[in-house]
Amino acid sequence: MEKSKTLLEKYQIPIGHLDFGYVEKCGNAREMEKIVMILRSGEEGYFPDLTRCAEEKLKQLKPDSKLFRTEEKIQHSNVLDKHELKPIYDWTNEIKNKDNALSELKEDASLPSMDLPPVRKTTKIEIDKDETETPKSKAASAPSARPQSKSTNEQRIKSTDYSKWDKYNPDEEILRMDLEQERAKEQAQIKLKSVLQPTSKEEQIKQCESAEEQRLQAQLKTLTQVEREQYAERFRLRGNDYFKAKEYDNAIKEYTRAIAFDPAQAARPYNNRAISYLKLKNYLLAIEDCEACLRLEPHNVKALLRLADAKYSQGHRRESYGIYQRVLELEPENASAMKSLAQLRHQVGELAPAHATRMVIEELPSDTAPVKNKTEKPADATVKDVQLKEYDLAELVKPNRLIKSKIASAAEALGGTLKSPNSIANAQKQQLQHMMQKVSTAQSQLRLPQSNCAASTNQKLLIQELK
Amino acid sequence: MDKPQLIEHLHESVNYTVYDTKWIPLSAKFVVLGSKPNSHGILDIYELNEDKLEKVKSVEKKAAFKCGTFGASSLRNRHMAIGDFEGRLQVLDLEHPDLAVYNVKAHSGIINCIDAIGGTQLECGAPEIVTGSRDGSIKVWDIRQGQDPVVDISPPSQMGDGINRSNLRRDCWAIAFGNTYNEEERLIAAGYDNGDLKLFDLRAMGVRWEATIRNGICGLEFDRRDIPMNKLAVTTLEGGLLVYDMRTQHPTKGFSYVEERNAGRSVGTNGVITGPKATVWTVRHVPQNRDVFLTGGGTGSIRLWKYEYPDRRVLEDADGNKEGVAGKLQMVSAVTLSSQPVHSFDWHPDKLGLAVAGAFDQSVRVLITTKLNTL
Repeated sequence: MEKSKTLLEKYQIPIGHLDFGYVEKCGNAREMEKIVMILRSGEEGYFPDLTRCAEEKLKQLKPDSKLFRTEEKIQHSNVLDKHELKPIYDWTNEIKNKDNALSELKEDASLPSMDLPPVRKTTKIEIDKDETETPKSKAASAPSARPQSKSTNEQRIKSTDYSKWDKYNPDEEILRMDLEQERAKEQAQIKLKSVLQPTSKEEQIKQCESAEEQRLQAQLKTLTQVEREQYAERFRLRGNDYFKAKEYDNAIKEYTRAIAFDPAQAARPYNNRAISYLKLKNYLLAIEDCEACLRLEPHNVKALLRLADAKYSQGHRRESYGIYQRVLELEPENASAMKSLAQLRHQVGELAPAHATRMVIEELPSDTAPVKNKTEKPADATVKDVQLKEYDLAELVKPNRLIKSKIASAAEALGGTLKSPNSIANAQKQQLQHMMQKVSTAQSQLRLPQSNCAASTNQKLLIQELK
Repeated sequence: MDKPQLIEHLHESVNYTVYDTKWIPLSAKFVVLGSKPNSHGILDIYELNEDKLEKVKSVEKKAAFKCGTFGASSLRNRHMAIGDFEGRLQVLDLEHPDLAVYNVKAHSGIINCIDAIGGTQLECGAPEIVTGSRDGSIKVWDIRQGQDPVVDISPPSQMGDGINRSNLRRDCWAIAFGNTYNEEERLIAAGYDNGDLKLFDLRAMGVRWEATIRNGICGLEFDRRDIPMNKLAVTTLEGGLLVYDMRTQHPTKGFSYVEERNAGRSVGTNGVITGPKATVWTVRHVPQNRDVFLTGGGTGSIRLWKYEYPDRRVLEDADGNKEGVAGKLQMVSAVTLSSQPVHSFDWHPDKLGLAVAGAFDQSVRVLITTKLNTL
């Protein structure tokens, strides 16, 4: 073997590219990385200025390049301020109390023992037989599913065996290979499916939610306060994990469990569940959770902000306004509250008066609706339909006085006096109608808050009012 | 500095080789397992007292201790399961360590790795301990059952020229429980010295998936044990770090992964990581954030990584099969902790950022990581 290649040869970069002019121009991050690596290696000589220039260029092109990964000596805790270490000291003392409480628990034999799941039935898993022939498996360098060794009963045709080649039909062979491939794929799928099938027990659990509830209560009875706090904390953290992964449904489940385990200190799980509901646009439940959190911690700013947000989204803008003001009382510098207030202030003239009543429209979960329909008699359904028809929304929208008819009649009168041809009258009518439309749109615009709010929020407001 | 910073809080030198360090759940105490020069096993319990460490207890036994875990013990008893160099698995009550709660000759060779589950998780099945050994077998133990394992995963017994073939038995180096989200589901991931990665399904009692990685597997861990499996981090000899997305299994391609070949690379000039490759000994996920984990390397460095999910985690290929999409790895922080490999690391389960690390320079260190919550 000759001496190993230099980096320059390995990357196939012309030596002319190791130049200030080229480095300035280069726009390819990958190439820049290579140039930096060559310069750093010192194989082509030592050019500190050029290296620095190239590194700076690379930083522009690709700030998170692996070449900028650095490692430092570890620093000791004396770099930390006293106030940074204090939480840890506090925590140490706090955890020691819990630790002692747990140790006492251990001695206390009177406590009910937790019921554990039964012991697993003794079994053996045989590792595949091909495990004994390991040298073969070593050949597979990449971490991929091991290719199934197919038994090739077909013998290879010698290149000189012309009589056999005459009989060889390539199309048939290709077809056979395709079929084989497909079969292998199918088998793999079947194998995977059998593994992924949910257990029968899982389905059972889903069916009897009430039994689940009972079991939870039984479990709670066996636990002491320290343990319950601990479990609640675990569930909350799991919920946070799910929340970060944007799996809000799962997060809500975990928070619910956390609340069940430690209802006395459930402010944080309530608060977190509220934001999860907000993300799912389930504002009513979010409001409930925020209020629950505020009952436990009346000055929780986060809960207040979420409550204000939920109320706003639900359409209770005046209440939302009040809550934001309360946030500012607690935290005068709160940026998000100030921003929201500024937006709300533009709409304040638009708000419904405080004494106005509002109908609550609750969305029923979709799965209960069909059940209801089934239980009701068909006759009832028809009656319902009729009622629905009677309740014509258009009636509500109609203005009390119809100006249009007046104008139309006036136009007719005009037309009548002038006795002009119909076409002119029509044109006039159209013009009038057009004018009317203009007037009406102008009016509706007037009704809107003349603010710098985005057009989208204007529309939203309108829709909410119509609700 | 707004990024997380790893800081050495306390340092304790010991006169034995440290093999494992573990926090005792819900306490300010941790256990150090090791081997004395006379190959006796030693177990020390240290307690955190503001700015100093206090040795609370020291226990010595005949065989050197290799690994331990609290995973199968409830909060109420907090027993520790320990594997030793002679293949013995014992469960000790740390208040009364002289007489083991459970004691079994589990393997014929050293127990390299141990993991346990079911102690503090509710509705997640029975508490079980799994051990992996140099004798090539993996055994699952339930301490309520006598001296036999509940599940025995052994390579088939070899016939014929036993002497020549015995060295072909694979050495199990790393093991982890996962996918334990209800009473039936449970998986074991096992890594072997030849780079074999196997996934055993304890519900279906079979091999769910297997792959071979370029180098021997030194450490592996699921990001969470008690959820439907999400991610599996694997570390290897020669600086490999792989993170598998375990949500979607393709019928033929298996699980997709992101690989970082230079995770164990040592420091070159000016602190830039360019040196030779070294083993990545261990990987541990932060208990409060499953997408952040730490690796301990053969050059005495510890590195903090963050996994970033792709925009879409599942793609459908031409045949309508679902295939997972791996994310990206970002190195958040790296520090040199010791001149020797850092091979054991444990985050405190109840305090964000607090950790204990053991290195082969005969010392244990308590570390604080600041600003972990900003990730």
